[in-house]
Amino acid sequence: MIVSHRRVALLAVLLATLMGLSVSACGSDDESTANAGDSREVVVSAAASLKKALTSYGDQFDSATVRLSFAGSDELAAQIRQGIKPDVFAAANTKLPDQLFKEGLVEKPVRFATNELVLAVPADGGDKVASLADLTGNDVTIAVGAKGVPVGDYTLKVLDGLPQAQSKAILANVRSREPDVGGIVGKLTQGAVDGGFVYRSDVEGAAGKLKAIELPDELKPTVEYGVAIVKGARNKAGGQAFVDGLLEGAGAKALADNGFGAPGGG
Amino acid sequence: MSQARWFPPLLAVALAVALSFLTLPIVAIFVDSGPAELLSSLDDAAAIDALTLSLWTSTVALVIIVVVGTPAAYLLATRRFRARNVLITLIELPLVLPPAVAGIGLLAALGPNGLFGQALDDAGIRVVLTTLSVILALTFVAAPFYLRQAEAAFSALDRSWLDASRTLGAGEATTFARVAIPAALPGLIAGLALAWGRALGEFGATLMFAGSFRGVTQTVPLAIYERFATDFTAALGLSAVLVAVSAAILMTVKLATRASPARVLTR
Amino acid sequence: MSLHVEAVADLGDLHLDVAFDIPARQCLALAGPSGAGKSSLLRVAAGLLQPTSGRVTSGDDVWLDTARNINRNPEERRCGYVFQDYALFPHQRSWQNVAYALRDRPRAVRQREARGWLARFGLEHLADARPATLSGGERQRVALARALARRPDVLLLDEPLSALDTRTRASAQRELADVLRVTEVPAIVVTHDFAEAALLGDEVAVIDEGRVVQQGSASQLAARPATAFVADFTGAVVLHGTATPAPDGTTIVTLAGGHQIRSTDRAAGPVAATVFPWEITIEAAGPATSQSAQNHLKARVQFITTIGGRVRLGLAGTENLIAEVTTTAIADLDLQPGSHVTATWKATATRLVPHA
Repeated sequence: MIVSHRRVALLAVLLATLMGLSVSACGSDDESTANAGDSREVVVSAAASLKKALTSYGDQFDSATVRLSFAGSDELAAQIRQGIKPDVFAAANTKLPDQLFKEGLVEKPVRFATNELVLAVPADGGDKVASLADLTGNDVTIAVGAKGVPVGDYTLKVLDGLPQAQSKAILANVRSREPDVGGIVGKLTQGAVDGGFVYRSDVEGAAGKLKAIELPDELKPTVEYGVAIVKGARNKAGGQAFVDGLLEGAGAKALADNGFGAPGGG
Repeated sequence: MSQARWFPPLLAVALAVALSFLTLPIVAIFVDSGPAELLSSLDDAAAIDALTLSLWTSTVALVIIVVVGTPAAYLLATRRFRARNVLITLIELPLVLPPAVAGIGLLAALGPNGLFGQALDDAGIRVVLTTLSVILALTFVAAPFYLRQAEAAFSALDRSWLDASRTLGAGEATTFARVAIPAALPGLIAGLALAWGRALGEFGATLMFAGSFRGVTQTVPLAIYERFATDFTAALGLSAVLVAVSAAILMTVKLATRASPARVLTR
Repeated sequence: MSLHVEAVADLGDLHLDVAFDIPARQCLALAGPSGAGKSSLLRVAAGLLQPTSGRVTSGDDVWLDTARNINRNPEERRCGYVFQDYALFPHQRSWQNVAYALRDRPRAVRQREARGWLARFGLEHLADARPATLSGGERQRVALARALARRPDVLLLDEPLSALDTRTRASAQRELADVLRVTEVPAIVVTHDFAEAALLGDEVAVIDEGRVVQQGSASQLAARPATAFVADFTGAVVLHGTATPAPDGTTIVTLAGGHQIRSTDRAAGPVAATVFPWEITIEAAGPATSQSAQNHLKARVQFITTIGGRVRLGLAGTENLIAEVTTTAIADLDLQPGSHVTATWKATATRLVPHA
């Protein structure tokens, strides 16, 4: 009768909607080649410090649309551990990609860039902080990265290389531990802190608002960036093409233009 | 007549879907790890610091909001003046602002490079990256929740109660304190709960304006965010505590409003 | 300690322009339709509404004088105000409501005195109840007790009985009349019911569209309504027509329906002819027992309503009338809806009011 027809039809629509929702949530690993939409998109999770460089690279990337999301590298690694699968993971250190490789979550990582950790101060900050030693001053405020975030770990390495009294004094002046380097840059450009540890690429990208103070050679940490294809990613071919371009091509150029150095080893 | 067959089940399905969607993440927080792990993850000085900081900064923010907001809402509700609708919209604006925008706004107003930055600096008041900045951020994002409820609660009052109070010898202030507030109390408490929940959960504006530093500015949401990357169980633990606290606040509100004797009189 | 109220105010569409003097111990009943401005007048007296210009004095106390820029706040005027919906504070018990009026008394005696006031109204057993649990009549008495506890210089009652059901209203009316009789201060009672005004007020003032149309004792208003409106308000039957003076000193009124009636009043032009329902007698239809001093109207009975020992008949003819007769008359004539009758009333009972 009409009554049951209607009812069945409505329930069917509801079920279909629910199914549709769950299907799109699970994602379909085996449909990537058949589904034209997927192969035209490369999803990249990258460290915050790579923002400018990768955005301009992504604009030039022909074979697919690049979807970028930036955050602290450790947060992105945590997402991958939770099962989120971008195509490419680019971190501000090699530790995190190596860890994920050991856990079987990504393919073998490749080093693709180097950077330099610098002490940055607001350009209009006068001479309040002119050197590492000035960070121990009484009235000085500092922002650093949180522990576990690459820029934070690099900073701790630097401070470990200093005499204990000095590193203690500097740590005492820390006012904020940011979850990504963008937060440190923001605090500096706002004049909220007198100094912060960021990458040279960040200073160059800050359009003159920041001044970089080079760290003494013996304290400079090796800042190497690693990238890996995520296992089970939807668009492995696209991801690979993206990574290739980072090593040699439009990506490498974009990195160089934004203050990154060439990768050290192979 | 056919509608009676499928409409009620449809309603039930809609409710079931809504319920599952809303409760699933909350249940998952408690279920994803074992309770022992959750509890032990809380046995961490930094977590305790974050909890303490969240509780007392949100309390201070709420005190400010209630003390300033209640008379303000009363004025809006009981006087008719030309700019009234504009003022109400302005007050509600932070409600629809993304927290990040709130953070930017606070920096633009009170940050070192902001409108009042120089004046604050001259006065020797340090705002950003201090606990004060946390309180300011929480007050800014949570105040509209209270103001809106309070204004609605005062508007719903029977004007004749206020008039009667005046004819019985009570001035405006006494009327406000002895009649308006007690009669509007359920609405005020509901607003308080909403604002408190919002303040406890504030993240974006706090991170941008106050920074994240243990014991000074790292509230529970910020602590959760920090732990999420390195220690997911700890993040779950803190989240569970926040859920429990929020639930406690909500329940207290429910009990308080049911116990309140102010009921709308019907003829 | 008389009360003087005069006010001119523009309230939306209504232009209020009234003035009253009420001596001590007197009650003025303000009657009129909704929206006439009655409640607004009370609010002006209490200070809850600011008129464009006006003066309110209680004895020698000047509460409002717009000319001299005097305007005392409501809390500084000693008014006992009973609101239409009683306005009892919902979050307080009955005795607390009354105690609110006693805030100028020492704290220690407040509760005792409040309960005492409630006892005077027979409500001591409800002293701890909250307003939501009280009946309409009980709330009305609490509100009255609260207003009186204020020991006011003036009593202002805004339709104090209209929220009550008919049964409660009758007893409440008598009770209120007693209170007003005993009270020493001037009082204003607002009502839209003429019978109530007649019972409660020493004088009745009819207000329509913001102005006083007529003021006097209830019987004066009934006997000599100044306008058709007052007549209608007092419960008279009102028939519209045109009056032409007759040579014998009476007036012939040609009604709208064409029928002619006679009145001993003198008038000319458009008039309203009024007669009270109890002055109309009913006869069976048929050739009228015509006496020149009587008016006759053929009509059909539309409805018969018995209220207590009296019967109201609705009659429809070229004019519509209400007649009030005894039950005996109904039985004698065997009247039912649809019966044809002749309504008769005297020319002397037909009052003419110029109709604007």
